[in-house]
Amino acid sequence: MSMGNVLLETRKLSNWFGKICTARELDLAFEEGVLTSIIGPNGAGKSTLVNLLTGNLPVQAGSVLFRGKDITRFPIHKRVRMGVCRSFQILNIFPQLSVLRNVMIPVLARSGRSMRPFAGISGEKAVLRESEELLEKVGLSRVRDSVAGALSHGDQRLLEVGVALAAAPVLLFLDEPTAGMNPVERVRLLESIRELSRGGRSTFVLIEHDMDIVFSLSDRVIVLHRGEVIGDGPPDEIRENARVREVYLGDEMTDVFRITGEE
Amino acid sequence: MQSIVHVCLAGLSSGMFIWLVASGLTLIFGVLGVLNFAHGSFYMLGAYFSYTVLRHLFPNFWLGLLLGPLCVCAVGFVVERFFLRYVYRLALPYQLLLTFAFVLIFDNLVKIVWGAGSLTPPDIGFLAGSVPILGRKFPVYNLFIIGVGPLVAVALWLALERTWAGRIVRAASSDREMASAIGVRVPALYTGVFVFGIWLGALGGGLAVPYVGLLTPGMGETIIIEAFIVAVIGGLGSLKGAFLAALVLGVLSSFGTRYFPAFDMFLTFILMAAVLLVRPQGLFGDAR
Amino acid sequence: MPDDRVTGRLLRAIAVLAFVAALASVPLFAGKFVIYLAMRVMILGIFALGYNLLLGGTGLLSFGHGAFYAAGAYGLGFFSLHLSPNPLLGVAAGIAAAMLLALLIGFFSVRSTEIYFAMLTLAFGMMVFSLIWNARDITGGDDGLIGIMRESIPLFGGVKISISQDSRYYFLVLFFFLLSFWAVHRIRNSPFGLVLAGIRENAKRTEFAGLAVRNYRLAAFVISGAFAGLAGSLETLLESNARPFMAHWTHSAEPVLVSLLGGIQTLTGPVVGSILFVAMREIVQRFTENWMLWFGIVLLVIIMGFRGGVVGVVRQLADRARGPRGG
Repeated sequence: MSMGNVLLETRKLSNWFGKICTARELDLAFEEGVLTSIIGPNGAGKSTLVNLLTGNLPVQAGSVLFRGKDITRFPIHKRVRMGVCRSFQILNIFPQLSVLRNVMIPVLARSGRSMRPFAGISGEKAVLRESEELLEKVGLSRVRDSVAGALSHGDQRLLEVGVALAAAPVLLFLDEPTAGMNPVERVRLLESIRELSRGGRSTFVLIEHDMDIVFSLSDRVIVLHRGEVIGDGPPDEIRENARVREVYLGDEMTDVFRITGEE
Repeated sequence: MQSIVHVCLAGLSSGMFIWLVASGLTLIFGVLGVLNFAHGSFYMLGAYFSYTVLRHLFPNFWLGLLLGPLCVCAVGFVVERFFLRYVYRLALPYQLLLTFAFVLIFDNLVKIVWGAGSLTPPDIGFLAGSVPILGRKFPVYNLFIIGVGPLVAVALWLALERTWAGRIVRAASSDREMASAIGVRVPALYTGVFVFGIWLGALGGGLAVPYVGLLTPGMGETIIIEAFIVAVIGGLGSLKGAFLAALVLGVLSSFGTRYFPAFDMFLTFILMAAVLLVRPQGLFGDAR
Repeated sequence: MPDDRVTGRLLRAIAVLAFVAALASVPLFAGKFVIYLAMRVMILGIFALGYNLLLGGTGLLSFGHGAFYAAGAYGLGFFSLHLSPNPLLGVAAGIAAAMLLALLIGFFSVRSTEIYFAMLTLAFGMMVFSLIWNARDITGGDDGLIGIMRESIPLFGGVKISISQDSRYYFLVLFFFLLSFWAVHRIRNSPFGLVLAGIRENAKRTEFAGLAVRNYRLAAFVISGAFAGLAGSLETLLESNARPFMAHWTHSAEPVLVSLLGGIQTLTGPVVGSILFVAMREIVQRFTENWMLWFGIVLLVIIMGFRGGVVGVVRQLADRARGPRGG
C-alpha cells in the first residue's frame, strides 16, 4: 500500500442549487489508503460533493481528476470502470433479485461478459465464485438466495455496501452506510470497513454522522459547512479546531450527536 | 406571399385544436403523473356530444359548446373516480393501458351510437362564411378558432398563477407528499384536475364539430398522436411548451400538406427528432 | 428442496414436450382454419415474446414495435419481389431491415425512459406508418405490397421443400416459433438478461455497477425489434402481402396487450396471451362486430384485478394449492 499517492482530486469544484451554494471552489485530494470521513451539519454539501465526484450530478464549474486524468465530464459507468464507486444513503439495491444476483451484476460488469445473450448465467463459474466470496466478506452468505427486498433493514444496508464493493472500486464513497442500523449492526459494519480498508484494495471515504465512529475510525476528517471546507486533517486536529467547534456548538450542535437511526 | 399567409393561418387554426387537447393532456400529466391515452377519445366524445346537443336538443352553437363538454366531464369523473384512482401507484404500463382500454371502449361505443361514417356538421349561424384576407377568402370560423386558442392559454395561465386553486395545483404537481402534508385533499384535487383536463380536450372536440369531415370515430386517434408529439417537443408537463409546439406543428404540417403532400406527417417527426437530439427533455421540460 | 427442484424440472420438460408434440400434430388432424389460426397465434407469439424482452425484461414500454413488424414484412416483400424469392433469405432480409430500423429509432428513443420513451416510440412508429402510407410508388400505399409468393425452400443438391400449402408452411412457422421461444428463454437466463433485469429493477444502480445502461437498453430494443421483424416477415409469407397498418400504433399495442394478458413477468406469459388473444378475437368476432369494446372491457378487468396476467393467476392458485409455503 503506497500512501500519499493521490487518487482523486478536485480543482475549484463548485455547485449551486438556485442561489444556494453547496460547493464553493473546492480543492480537495483523496490519497490512496487514507480512510477519510466527511462530516458537516445538514445541508453542508456532503452528499452533493459525493454526487459530483461520482458523476451522479453534472459538474457546473471546476474539474475532477482521477489519477491525473480529467474525468469531469465522464459518465457514471466510466468512472466506475476506472475505480470510483459509491453506496447510497437511501437504499439503492435490486429489490426483486436475489442477494447473490445483486452482487453478481457489478462482478459481471467487470468480467466483460455482461453482453453475452446466449450463455447460461449458471455457467459463469468465476463470476459466481467471486460473488460468493464477496457475500462472505460482508456477512450475507446466509441469505444469498433470498430476495433482496425481503431482507431486514440492516441486511439491506449491508447489501448496499456489498453491491458497491462488488464493483471492486479503487476509491469507494459510502454515503451514511449505517443509516437506520441498530448499534450492534453498526459496529459490525464499521469493523468490516476498517478491515477492508486495511486490506488495502479499496480506499474508503465515509459520510457519517456518528462522531464517535468518525473520530475512532478515520485517518483524516474533512469538515464541510455551506459548501466550504472549514477543517481538514487528522481527527485529533479537527477535534481542537476552533472554527469547527464554533459551527458545531452553535444551534447545529444537536445535529452532531443526532442518532442517525431516527432518520 | 398570399398563399403563404393562408397556409400559415390554416396551420394556426389546426394547431389550436392540437393545443386544446395537449393542454389537458399536459395538465393531467403534470399533476397526476399519468399519461392519458384516452384524451383523444374525450376530444372525440366532446365533438359527438356537442353535435348531438346541437342537432337534436338546442340548435344553438354556444349551447352545444357548453353542454357537450360538460357531459364529457361526467364521463371523465367516472373514469377517474372508479378506475384511474386505483392505478396511480402502479407501474407505467398499467396506467397507460388502463387509459388505452378506454380508447378501445369509447371508440367502439361511438361507432355503435353514431355510426362508423363521418357526420355532416350542422349550421353554426354567424360564424359560417368567410372573409377576404389579402384578396383570398378565409373561413370566419378558422379565425374564431385562432382567437380561442390563445384565450384559453391566457385564462389557464391566470388561473394557475393568480388563483388560490391554481397555487394548490402547482404545489401538488411539484410535490404530492408536501401538498397532502399541508392539508390539501389530494384525491379530490386529482379528480378535479382530471375532470378539468378532460373539459379542455372536450372543448376542443366541441369546437371541431363545424369542420366538414372531421367528425369520425377515428378523430381521437389522429389528434392524440399529434398531442403526444406536441407534449414531447414542448417538454412534458410544460403548458408553455405545449402551446408553442402546437402552433409550430400546426403551421409546419399545413405547409407540408400544401407543398409536400406525400410527406406532411413526416415533417412533424423530423421536427420531433431534431428537437430531441438537441434537447432530450423537450423545449421547456425539466432536465432530468 | 433438491427433490422439489428435480421434479419441477422434470415436470417442466414434460410440459414443453407435450406442448411441442401438440403443436406439431395440429396439421395432422385439424382443418384449414385451425391451422391458419395456429400460425397466427405463433406469429403473434414470436412478436410478443421478443417484445416482452423489452417490457418485462428492462421495463421499457414501447408503443412503436409495429414499425419493426412492418420493416420485417416490407423487407421480406421487397427482397422477394426484387432480389430473390428464397423465403429463408427473405426472412433474413426482413429481420435485418427490422434491426436496422430498430437501431435508428432506438438510438433516439433509449435516451429517454418511462413515459417519454413510450411517446417517442409511438411517434416514430407512426412516422414509419405515414411513410409507408404515403410512398405509394414504392410501397403500394394503402393497398399494401401485394403478390408476394411463397416459393419453395432450396436445399443443397437441388432438393427443394415446397411450402406453398398452409399445412406445410405451418412447420416453418413452428420452427421459427420454437427457435424464438428457446432464444428468449436463453436470453432471459444469460448474463445479458441479468443486466436487463438489473436495469428494470434499478437503472441508477446498474450504472454504478459500471454498465453503460443506454447501450444495454438499445441492445434489448434491437433484439426485440428483430423478433418483431421475424414475425412480420412470417405473416407476409402467410398472407402473401404486407400492409401499412402493420406499422400502426394500434398494432404496436398488440404485443403489449398480449404480454399483459398472459403476464409480463413470465416467459410463457406472452405465448399464453397470444393464444387467448387470437381465440378471443375469433370468438367475439363471430357474435358481434364490436370486438374492440369487449377487448377493452377484458383489459380493464385485468388491470383492475389480475395484474399478474393469466399465468400469474394460475401460478398463485397453484402455490396456494401446494400449501402454506409463503411467497
